Amino acid sequence: MIAKRLTCLLLLGLSACSTTEEQVVELLEQMAANPVDSPAYQQSIDELAAIGRPAARQLIARLNPDLYLGENYREFRDEQEKLRIGCARALGRIKPRGATAALKDRITTAYTDRERIACLWAMGQVGYVQAGVDAAKVQLEDEDPIIRIHAAIALLKMDDELGTSEIEAALASSDPELAQTALQGLEESGYFGVPLLVELSSRAGPHQAALRSVIAQVKDQLVAQLEAEEPIHRQRAAQALGYIGDESTAAALADLLEDPSNQVRFSTAAALATMGRSRGIEFLFEALRNTDSILRANAVKFLTNVQQQSGAVESQLIAALSDEDPLARAGAAQVLGQARVQSALSALLAATMDEVADVRANVAIALGHIGGDQSRAQLEKLRHDIDTTVSYYAEWALGQLGSS
Amino acid sequence: MQNAIYLLFVLLALPPFAAPSRAGETPETLIIRQALANDISGYRRADAELALKAYHPHFVAYEGHANSDPRAWTVLHENRDAFASQLAADLSSQRYEVTRTVPFIAVRATHAIATSVDSGRVVDRQTSETAPVVIHRFWTFLKEEDDWLATGMVADVGDTLLPAAGAPANGEIAELLQRESQAWEAGSGILGFFDANFTGYDALGAFKPASYKIAFSGSEELEKWLDKRLSYVQYDLDRKVLHTAIGPAGDEALAVTREKVAVEHVKGPAKHHQERYVFWTLSRRSGSWKITNMVFDLGLELSD
Repeated sequence: MIAKRLTCLLLLGLSACSTTEEQVVELLEQMAANPVDSPAYQQSIDELAAIGRPAARQLIARLNPDLYLGENYREFRDEQEKLRIGCARALGRIKPRGATAALKDRITTAYTDRERIACLWAMGQVGYVQAGVDAAKVQLEDEDPIIRIHAAIALLKMDDELGTSEIEAALASSDPELAQTALQGLEESGYFGVPLLVELSSRAGPHQAALRSVIAQVKDQLVAQLEAEEPIHRQRAAQALGYIGDESTAAALADLLEDPSNQVRFSTAAALATMGRSRGIEFLFEALRNTDSILRANAVKFLTNVQQQSGAVESQLIAALSDEDPLARAGAAQVLGQARVQSALSALLAATMDEVADVRANVAIALGHIGGDQSRAQLEKLRHDIDTTVSYYAEWALGQLGSS
Repeated sequence: MQNAIYLLFVLLALPPFAAPSRAGETPETLIIRQALANDISGYRRADAELALKAYHPHFVAYEGHANSDPRAWTVLHENRDAFASQLAADLSSQRYEVTRTVPFIAVRATHAIATSVDSGRVVDRQTSETAPVVIHRFWTFLKEEDDWLATGMVADVGDTLLPAAGAPANGEIAELLQRESQAWEAGSGILGFFDANFTGYDALGAFKPASYKIAFSGSEELEKWLDKRLSYVQYDLDRKVLHTAIGPAGDEALAVTREKVAVEHVKGPAKHHQERYVFWTLSRRSGSWKITNMVFDLGLELSD
């Protein structure tokens, strides 16, 4: 008897609660019933985004014009447009990978500009999908600069730089809508947009104050992302903060030097080193001395980036050629070569006499990378080195110098 | 799997005069193409039985008068028997040396539409006089069991809009269409105006049948839509009947209306509206007039 009553109560409870599908239908009707960008319209998008992935299938379906037939028929094109825009915006917040296939088909001239822009925005928010990148690239050829700037921003969010010149052009133009779209897009692009933002803010132009303001906002987003669950977000945020180079973020970055992910730790150290912070520099040089070859390889890679980006570790690298640890000497030679540090030439020439063959080999390679005729005599000597690896790379480096 | 087996069967069953298939074909379009091939083959061989295989008992033929504007259209044959009589007479007096291309087929569930272009010449059997022909036709089909049968055909539909005055509205048809518009405003009783096998189309602002999308495949699908739609919107319809034509026996009719349609939503202040032309066909075979086809948003000039 009790079991029966409980079953009845459960059934009553279930029937009283609407299913997710019904909730989505109700919110879509709210979307259709209110003007685009009105509070009620925006509320429907917010609530659909809050439902998240369980709503995605129904939202993706509403992008397709063939859905608006039969029991889903909508005879008014502007009603379909409203739903398509709202669904794209909600999908851009839910970010289901599978949405790109439907979104990319709605960015062509068969759709209204508002639909195209909403779908381009959503594609960017969803992130890298090759088919999306390919489709957005086509829109860079559109005759309307507004579509082109949205395509460029979508590409930037998908980690593709092909639209960079379009963003630069928008910021250089006298059209305030284009400039505003570019600025907003750069802000939304997060770490993907930081190198371009930093580059643009260093140039003269009409939007320098606005660019600096965007950088400040992105910086705050990135600091928050240092605590992201996914290591890739922590890593990219740390890298981007290194580009920005704002000293105020150093403390937050320093906490990540103990991160469980290698890539996060190295990216963080590189960011700190770029700012000239000793903790970052020490971390990387320590790794250069590590017996673990993977850590050493990471140290070389990140020190090279730091040196190329800021020159902040140049003196330490040159000094490391005289370090008592041969691993540090060899690593420093690698970095100096890969970063093509001309000022290290005399120190590298001196290091051709290093007692450790591995160091001499890396010095030969570095001299080959840097080039210049001053190295020829020392490399000729190394060509006859007792160590065959050293002589092999000396030969290679001489080839890089060309004939005298 | 069932479709694949069926397609295989269709391919094996195709006779030598089968129309060539195209990319994007489905088992359904292949069968429709075959029905249209049988029809023209019947004309060429003077084999009325072969031609009539493709026709539904409720088949209705309309005359397009070389005009894509349905305000110029009239009812030609009101049923298959009337059409068969004319066909027999045509085949005995004329020889058809024509070929048919089928450039467009669209299928939705159990309803389909197609266009065909017949070209060649017609030879008078007595005088041997020949006349060149190029005829554009628009077809409607219904699937019954595994067969696709033609339920309607607009002969000589043309491929352009020519002047069309429109015939004065028949009182009975006009009154029916006005009552139908009132049912939309009342939000009830709409379905009673429609034949069970009714087809609804959206012409998306174009006039050529090849641009029609089938929106409703039967009144059941219309009913499902109405159940959903009328919970959320209130219709406002201002309809003017521009043209009607009724068949010789008074059992079949067609009409063109121009209307302002608007909806107000229950869940917000947005209003959607449009002015549109609508083409209708109606039948009285069940005793009272029922709508058999309805084409929304025909792309006719709205300035007239």
